[in-house]
Amino acid sequence: MNKRLRNALKGITAPDVERRRRAMEPFVRATFGIFSSYLYRYLGNEVECEDVLEDVYADIWENPEQLRNVTNEKQLLKTVYLYYMRKRLREVYRRMNRNLYLSQSNLKNLIAPEIGALEMVSRSELQQILGQALSKLKARERRAIELWMQGASNRAIANELKTTVGAVKMLEYRTMLKLRKMLRYYYHED
Amino acid sequence: MSESNREIHELLVDYAGALRDGCIPTFLKSLTRQEAERIASSWEFWDASEVSRILNGIGFADKAVAPNVSLFISRVDAEIASRLKKAKASPYDKRSARARSVTKRENRT
Repeated sequence: MNKRLRNALKGITAPDVERRRRAMEPFVRATFGIFSSYLYRYLGNEVECEDVLEDVYADIWENPEQLRNVTNEKQLLKTVYLYYMRKRLREVYRRMNRNLYLSQSNLKNLIAPEIGALEMVSRSELQQILGQALSKLKARERRAIELWMQGASNRAIANELKTTVGAVKMLEYRTMLKLRKMLRYYYHED
Repeated sequence: MSESNREIHELLVDYAGALRDGCIPTFLKSLTRQEAERIASSWEFWDASEVSRILNGIGFADKAVAPNVSLFISRVDAEIASRLKKAKASPYDKRSARARSVTKRENRT
């Protein structure tokens, strides 16, 4: 953990309310990038990420107990996700769920699931792991996933692969399952 | 996403697309009862959804527009100030509410 983050963490876990408030600025500056890019994978929307994080930081200020024994960045992210982010993420959709057919537990699992080991590795490590897994796929499967990750629509992918949209959907689904199988080691590491 | 009675692979692709495009609420609202049941009973959907979240984090988190952190900090500070105000106000509210109810009771008698 770098010095800046360590100092910010020290301030944010202080018993004095006003000191914690003053420490919020360096804490946000040191962590905003980490938290928002992590949250993005669940929301896919910058505006919602900011809204959720606003509450997360205020919750941390109000009750920083869980962060007292944090010693590294990985542990910080895990603790913040488990004790602060997940609660807020679930709240985003809780009200909406009255009009949905998904059960409350399925909705929870979909929008703010339990975390696997893979979700806690650093971004560069994750890129490496994913790169290795992608290299083991067939050329067509890899191309479909790469295009999807570049933001292409299913129709654009179908045009590129000279097939139908339905076939692309099935290809993406099977490829994601194949990737999940390749990455199962990381999911069961804990 | 408007088509009804989608198969599980279509549901997964629509979920992944909604996650990528930041419109999960639209996807959730588009689910019919049968589709929700299909999702609930399919372990394959849950497995593949984990991968789609990872792909979303790797592929798009960097492309997200970086906000003005100073502005965001002022939002957080305003939220903290509002919570402080509420915390200070709540004992007074309770007291005044109690006082009001006592007066009401006295008036009734």
